[in-house]
Amino acid sequence: MPPKEKVESTEQVLQAVILADSFDERFQPITLETARCLLPLCNVPLISYTFEFLAVAGVQEIFVFCCSHSDKVKAFVKQYGKQSNMKIHTIVSQECMSVGDAMRELDAKQLIDTDFILVTGDVVSNMKLDRVLEEHRARRQADKSAIMTMVLKKASPQHRSRAVGDGSLFVLDQTSKECLHYQPVKAFKSTKQDRRMTMDMEIFKMHPEIQIRNDLIDCQVDICSVEVPALFTENFDYQDIRSDFVHGILTSDLLGKTIHFHEVHDVYAARVRSTQMYDAISKDIISRWTFPMVPDSNLQAGDCYEYRRGLVYKEKSVVLSRTCVVEEKVVIGANTQIAESSVLSNCVIGKNCVIGANVKIDNAYIWDNVIIMDNCVIQHSIIANNAVLEEGVTVRKGCLISFNVTIGAKTTVPPFSRLTTLPEDEDDDELVSEPAVVGASGKGRVFKEAEDSDDEDEEEDPKNKAVNRLAYDLKELALEGQDDSASEFESEASDDEEEAVNPAEELDREVSATLERAFKDGHSVDIAALELNTLRMASFSNFHEMRKRIIPGVLRNIDVTAKPGSGKTTKEILARWGPLIGRMIHDEDDQVDGLYILQRSCASPVVATAVFTPALRYFYDNDITEEDAILKWFYSEKSQQGSDMEKQLREKTQPMIDYLEQSESEEESDEEDEDSE
Amino acid sequence: MSLNKNELVDDLVAKLKRRQLVGSSAVSQATLKLLVVVISKNNWSTANQLLTLVKSVGQKLIQANPTELAVGNIIRRVLHVIREEYREAENDKTNTEFHHHAAPLTTSSSMYNLLGESGAAQEEQVQFSHSLRSNIIQEIRDIKIELENIHENIKNQAPLHIHSNEIIMTIGRSKTVEEFLKMAASKRKFQVLVAETAPSYHGQEMALELSKAGIETTVIPDSAVFAVMSRVNKVILGTHAVLANGGLVAISGSHMMAAAAKHHSIPVVVCTGLYKLSPLYPYDEDSFNVTMNPDSVLGFEEGDLIEKVTVTNPYYDYVSPDFVNLFITNQGGHPPSYLYRLIVENYDPDDQTFDL
Repeated sequence: MPPKEKVESTEQVLQAVILADSFDERFQPITLETARCLLPLCNVPLISYTFEFLAVAGVQEIFVFCCSHSDKVKAFVKQYGKQSNMKIHTIVSQECMSVGDAMRELDAKQLIDTDFILVTGDVVSNMKLDRVLEEHRARRQADKSAIMTMVLKKASPQHRSRAVGDGSLFVLDQTSKECLHYQPVKAFKSTKQDRRMTMDMEIFKMHPEIQIRNDLIDCQVDICSVEVPALFTENFDYQDIRSDFVHGILTSDLLGKTIHFHEVHDVYAARVRSTQMYDAISKDIISRWTFPMVPDSNLQAGDCYEYRRGLVYKEKSVVLSRTCVVEEKVVIGANTQIAESSVLSNCVIGKNCVIGANVKIDNAYIWDNVIIMDNCVIQHSIIANNAVLEEGVTVRKGCLISFNVTIGAKTTVPPFSRLTTLPEDEDDDELVSEPAVVGASGKGRVFKEAEDSDDEDEEEDPKNKAVNRLAYDLKELALEGQDDSASEFESEASDDEEEAVNPAEELDREVSATLERAFKDGHSVDIAALELNTLRMASFSNFHEMRKRIIPGVLRNIDVTAKPGSGKTTKEILARWGPLIGRMIHDEDDQVDGLYILQRSCASPVVATAVFTPALRYFYDNDITEEDAILKWFYSEKSQQGSDMEKQLREKTQPMIDYLEQSESEEESDEEDEDSE
Repeated sequence: MSLNKNELVDDLVAKLKRRQLVGSSAVSQATLKLLVVVISKNNWSTANQLLTLVKSVGQKLIQANPTELAVGNIIRRVLHVIREEYREAENDKTNTEFHHHAAPLTTSSSMYNLLGESGAAQEEQVQFSHSLRSNIIQEIRDIKIELENIHENIKNQAPLHIHSNEIIMTIGRSKTVEEFLKMAASKRKFQVLVAETAPSYHGQEMALELSKAGIETTVIPDSAVFAVMSRVNKVILGTHAVLANGGLVAISGSHMMAAAAKHHSIPVVVCTGLYKLSPLYPYDEDSFNVTMNPDSVLGFEEGDLIEKVTVTNPYYDYVSPDFVNLFITNQGGHPPSYLYRLIVENYDPDDQTFDL
């Protein structure tokens, strides 16, 4: 009875497949030199966490599927297999370009004969799979078409452990635990297609109650049946396990397969998909969310970390100088030395590092054998093995400094740089260093992403690539305010901005560009006003912000020394463009505000001070500001404070104020006279 | 054979590391079981070989989870037994100056250290007879029996300590305390207050068990411990470990309860098996603590919050010995000041650390 035997073997040997390749380039240039799954996460290779997770789940046999840098993965797995009581095999396939290819390869090799656990080599989780497995098996017994169970974890939408670039929408039926529909969500929803979700109406007919969820961490831990690799072979165009396979299976009427889910609580599960996730997961591990997978449980044989108060983990052989400060959330590997007065916070330092005096390291991930000399400052970056930072180097946020890079003394590495020592062309043997970036004595060059990488990327639209790039930016999430992140995404999507820019700066640039165009091309005031108003609405700004930029913008064009008729005199400019300012000013508050801005901008170096009184006069004459507003401005405290220059300007208006007051009192007295008459 | 032993050791190491095996009682029994296999299935001929063997296993186990102090205690007990057996055997063999050899065993440890050098050299040469191997195994079996009877021995003392109509307060869920109270309940009528012991809420489970046994039980929130303390007659605590100075490593909240009891001059009684008594000294309050997943204090789902706050969730408290009035062990009641004596009797001073 062959079938019965099969059931027995399911219970005897639990198999798992680890996809040790990520099939993307988010960690480049670091992953040009080693495999993604061997990158150290809190000083332990990533794949060790996955092995440990599977070992706890009771897996006895593991197939590690590796593509790039397979020799390194193989060597590591061989070493690891010696200490472990799991049987670990490596399958090498250089040609694989995607998860789909790997699954087809797996099907071709016919290695798996039971239900298996499919994970990627970068999963960090402390969950126990026994209940998931039980559920899956029970379902399989009842219904052969239930081919897969996905493990999902609930988290809030803004959660740091959710990958920004890899959002996903699940349509779920809680009663049958069935996943009904899946759709990936892009961070930048540029096209209408991205913003919409198309779902089969049948789903509503079949399921009385459904949930549409966007609050799940999908760490791609799946319990798959044997059919899954076979289905990949049948549908040879499937690449990704989620957006192609799950989506395809669920939308296909022909296959009649179902996919289920299991929602986990109170456990940790996440995947190191990007550098941003690397940062978040490192912090989760240090904050012990992954307990018992924490540095002081010494996953790696030979490690001997101790836990100290303030979430500091330190090997016994670390040498700390007396005056160095180890603040919160720090991991320090074996034999590392830290010299006097250095300050470390929120960082991971590898083995055998030498850190000089007066070094400040915040939020950085420094791997093994790195030398950092005196007075360096490192913020929110990753520095790979054997890198050398000479004296006084500053590394700004978001940098990836790959293996063996040397940065010369007193160099500042700009934010989001990616440096490598690999020659630009594969044919070239020698590296051409770029002294502009790495300093005179440095070694390394800026890494440029290949334009025409693999076809997988070509399929993706440019926006999605931008998401990839975004994921590189370690600080991206922190930069955005919690609330305006959604709107910023939209505004980003509207123009083809590659980097995230501070909205205020962006508005600055846009306004000045618009004004310049208007001046140069001689637009009418109406057109210029229309353009500026559109800009205001597009950037969710208000009139105050616009005034703040337009008033100095207009006044800057005035050349006090110009002769009349050149179109540059105060009078001419104001006559031409003054109405534009008028368009931005409405009620009395606006008028007062406009005056403050006028005062401030004339006091600053961009606008000549001589412009102030004529401009004020112009405002008054053309009813842009009324006399009440001028008086209110004059007597307000705000106008009397500020720099000396601003005070001087205010005093210059004294005659005008006198005149205004006089006319006002005259009016009043006139009225009184009339009354008395 | 050797492979088999190594596999067993690795298995236990992995279990300790992954915290699949926790709790002093379970851990100590597993350790003892492993040691019996290690000693009986390995080839050794001299005392030093055996000591080195046991020490190397012990080192691995302790490194796997240094906070399970009971592992170390059991290893030290076994090492002590081996040394004792060796000395006896040696005495039998030479059969001369019996009194001189017996004397150092009971005198102070520092004196013994002075003589240790020559002793070790002798140990090297002594061949164990076959009977000795079985003697050692027998001694270890005795320890095993002792472990199995610990609850029995402790709970039999219950009627001596709990009187009618008393109000007893306890915290957490300790099997020893549970048995102790149940035994007392069969003889006397009294009331128990259990602090719920957030965030693990073991206290709630404890209360459920006690009320099932027919004891009048009330669960109180941890915050009410001080307020209710004035009405309490006795505080009974369980513990994870007892340190050399008589301090406790007990579930978090114990320190607060003990301090409140001290404030009201209410006796604090600790029920513990002797296998929890460790010769290690707490140089740092945190040294034997475990910091757990903060999930039970602040849910991981709260994504916006967890970036901004640091949550630590220590599982144990260190309770200093001056808060404890009495230890009830399987060998009877002892004040904290007497513990040093028990340590000298049960462990060899050479075995503080397992450096080879």
